[in-house]
Amino acid sequence: MEREIYSDILKEKIYFRKLDNGLEIFILPKKGYTKKFAIFGTRYGSIDNRFIIPGEKKVTDVPQGIAHFLEHKLFESEEEGVFARFSKLGSNVNAYTNFNSTCYLFSCTDKFHENLSILIDFVQSPYLTDENVEKEKGIIEQEIRMYEDNPNWKVFFNGLKAMYHNHPVKIDIAGTVDSIYRITKDELYRCYNSFYVPNNMVVFVVGDVDREKTYSTIEESLKSTYKKLEGEIERILPHEPIDVREKSIEEKLSVSMSLFNISFKNTDNFLEEKELLRRDIETKVILDMVFGKSSRLYKRLYEDGLINENFESEYTFDVSYGHSIIGGESKDPNRIYDILCQEIKSIKRDGLNREDFERIKKKSIGQHISSYNSVEFIANTFTSYYFKGINLFDYIIELQNLDLERVSERFNNHFDLDKSVLSLINPNN
Amino acid sequence: MLLNILGETDLDDGVRLHIIKSDKFKTNLIGVYIKRPLLKEEATKNSMLSMLLNKGTEKYPSFFELNRKLEDLYGSILIADVMKRGEKHILQLKMQLPNSKYIDNKDILKEGLSILNGAINNPVIENGGFKRESFYQEKENLKEKIEGRINDKMKFAVERCAEKMCEDENYSIYEYGSLEELEKLEEKELYNYYQRILSTSPIDFFIVGNVEEEEVKGLFKEYMKFQREDIITIPRENIYKDISEVKEVEDNFNINQGKLTLGYRTNIPYDSDLYQSSILFSSILGGGPNSKLFKNVRERESLCYYIFSKIDKFKSIMLVSSGIEFENFQKTRDLIQEEVDSLKEGNFTEDDIEIAKKSIITSIKSLTDTPNILMDFLYSQILSDSLDDIENIISKIEAVNKESIMEAGKKFELDTIYFLNKEGEGRQ
Repeated sequence: MEREIYSDILKEKIYFRKLDNGLEIFILPKKGYTKKFAIFGTRYGSIDNRFIIPGEKKVTDVPQGIAHFLEHKLFESEEEGVFARFSKLGSNVNAYTNFNSTCYLFSCTDKFHENLSILIDFVQSPYLTDENVEKEKGIIEQEIRMYEDNPNWKVFFNGLKAMYHNHPVKIDIAGTVDSIYRITKDELYRCYNSFYVPNNMVVFVVGDVDREKTYSTIEESLKSTYKKLEGEIERILPHEPIDVREKSIEEKLSVSMSLFNISFKNTDNFLEEKELLRRDIETKVILDMVFGKSSRLYKRLYEDGLINENFESEYTFDVSYGHSIIGGESKDPNRIYDILCQEIKSIKRDGLNREDFERIKKKSIGQHISSYNSVEFIANTFTSYYFKGINLFDYIIELQNLDLERVSERFNNHFDLDKSVLSLINPNN
Repeated sequence: MLLNILGETDLDDGVRLHIIKSDKFKTNLIGVYIKRPLLKEEATKNSMLSMLLNKGTEKYPSFFELNRKLEDLYGSILIADVMKRGEKHILQLKMQLPNSKYIDNKDILKEGLSILNGAINNPVIENGGFKRESFYQEKENLKEKIEGRINDKMKFAVERCAEKMCEDENYSIYEYGSLEELEKLEEKELYNYYQRILSTSPIDFFIVGNVEEEEVKGLFKEYMKFQREDIITIPRENIYKDISEVKEVEDNFNINQGKLTLGYRTNIPYDSDLYQSSILFSSILGGGPNSKLFKNVRERESLCYYIFSKIDKFKSIMLVSSGIEFENFQKTRDLIQEEVDSLKEGNFTEDDIEIAKKSIITSIKSLTDTPNILMDFLYSQILSDSLDDIENIISKIEAVNKESIMEAGKKFELDTIYFLNKEGEGRQ
């Protein structure tokens, strides 16, 4: 049965339906948009590399980077290639793998239902051979090399490696050159069969589409072999200590000046969904209040010439981890770290400012509404929150209900200087 | 109809306003494009202006105060930047405001326009120049930005190829300017320059959003004031060059992946009947996962992860770029050249043409869904004096055939091969 939620603030409506096999389908109609966008995603990302398959006793350990490898290989097909099928319709197909999910997507302007049935079909039809698995290794190796020269990526991952002792979020999403060369066809199938099942997946459609026809196109494209797993897959996460592994980490790369990431780690995780969402919003508002472009700290660092416009902060989380990262470029990142520590201490002493809070809240509301201009934003963000158990329409409601007391409490708990990391990339010449 | 362009209005001499009405967006986006020639003595100045103009106004004299005001307007955004389009240099400001329908502020458009006017017409001035303190702060930031271009190796390898290829032409000027010019620049000189370009440059305003034509015209006339003098005309770029031999250039950095770029002169101007055919040639060659380069260099040979080709509309050059193992330099460049030559000989099917056409048409139709991309697209048409209906653009693409693509391709000439290599690995 189809259900719907209307958001009065966003003036958008979302429709959804759960099929008997457990697959959930969401549609957000966008009247007047030329583009139609769909995602078929699975809650399976780079952190899912140890698990117990239902009915088995043994733990399955797989090489780093296998979820991403599988993403590449699903574009292989026994008959006509996946890229060719979409290209003939003039559409763009793509995919991405992150820590928690793998998403396949397309955007098109014409023949939406044909595109949609190809998407649903190819994600259900892995075609792996020893030969085509070998062939992919050279390509992924070059993808890894490309990231090795990307200073923003390196400063970010080094920070995670220093922050976490054991949690697999510290592992590079694409793996390492060494780990991908160890990946085999059988392991890829094993991962596929465990995670590409309807009750672990979602379809999200945004655009000016016919809803009934969308549901039926999806249902007609589902194969009889596409079935729920009997029993739950058990994802095994190692114990993660509260403190950070190293307080600082440094690497040299070919850059013009130093890049830094200062990170703060969540000390408690596994919250229930509503709390997870509230914490996400609280943290983002704090980051904007304390490190944003109108903050006292930003003003000081900017006027002292310690930072330039590339100074940003973000909060990233999933059920089992979460961290804030403040990053940028600087002539003297150690000095920034010291000033940042002083600022945190002084806010802990004097409290957050109410006027800043109200202004940033207003800003966050305006920007969240504005982001609904983008069909890509809607589909990607909804999917990402869905896999965390959160409905994105709740975001704006929780944002409006946000209160300063809870935000202050979160500030005091999260910004613990003993649990911070300074990651640096310095010039190598 | 894909777009509702409500015609253009002259706000003043050479100052035009273009209104694009659409009720599907949550925002109103305003853009200002100030057109200049791309010249060594001006580029750094334009770039400095883009650093300064969104950092304060007379009313909100610091970055800090201005940002607080923008945040208070429900997270409105004001950005300033420069862009290079052929041998034209455009100083642009953009302001995004939530539409008042979604928030509790009926006057947000008015307030936004007043801030935008402040940023353009009332920057922070002292002693006849830009405020000294902010000027030197931004000068340092621009220096870091220019030096920082090596941090993105993928982009750097594409831009450097084009620069080396056109080293005696203005096209080789980096869009953010040069350290030499920046060193010399002073706050008074820059302010005088700014006054001059404000009164003599062609200026185009755009607004995309759910707005009423008459109301918007009235608001712009009320809030945007200019003092105009004789308006400059900007010469068309030269696209032809005699190539006696292919130039080979290499830069060395301490890096993990080599980046190869091949630069071709297409010899086809944007107003030629063959222009659309040249776009299709590039698209069949390296325009996406169905292209020859993706299929052969990536999928068949596993030599790379990314490989693409693109055409600069205004300068009529095609750049092909890829990230590879250092030792695969010769093999990859041979393969790319073979693919280009093979296309010139007509080794592509009707299917390839259809796919390339559809892909281009889809991206043109899609840009109507993103206000910022739409605005830049419309402006690029203004730059080529060809503001055309999307329907007409599409029909021109549909009219292309195999013969015309081959005819276009045969005009392409390889000019420069650029390689970003690791250190201590000079090729002999």
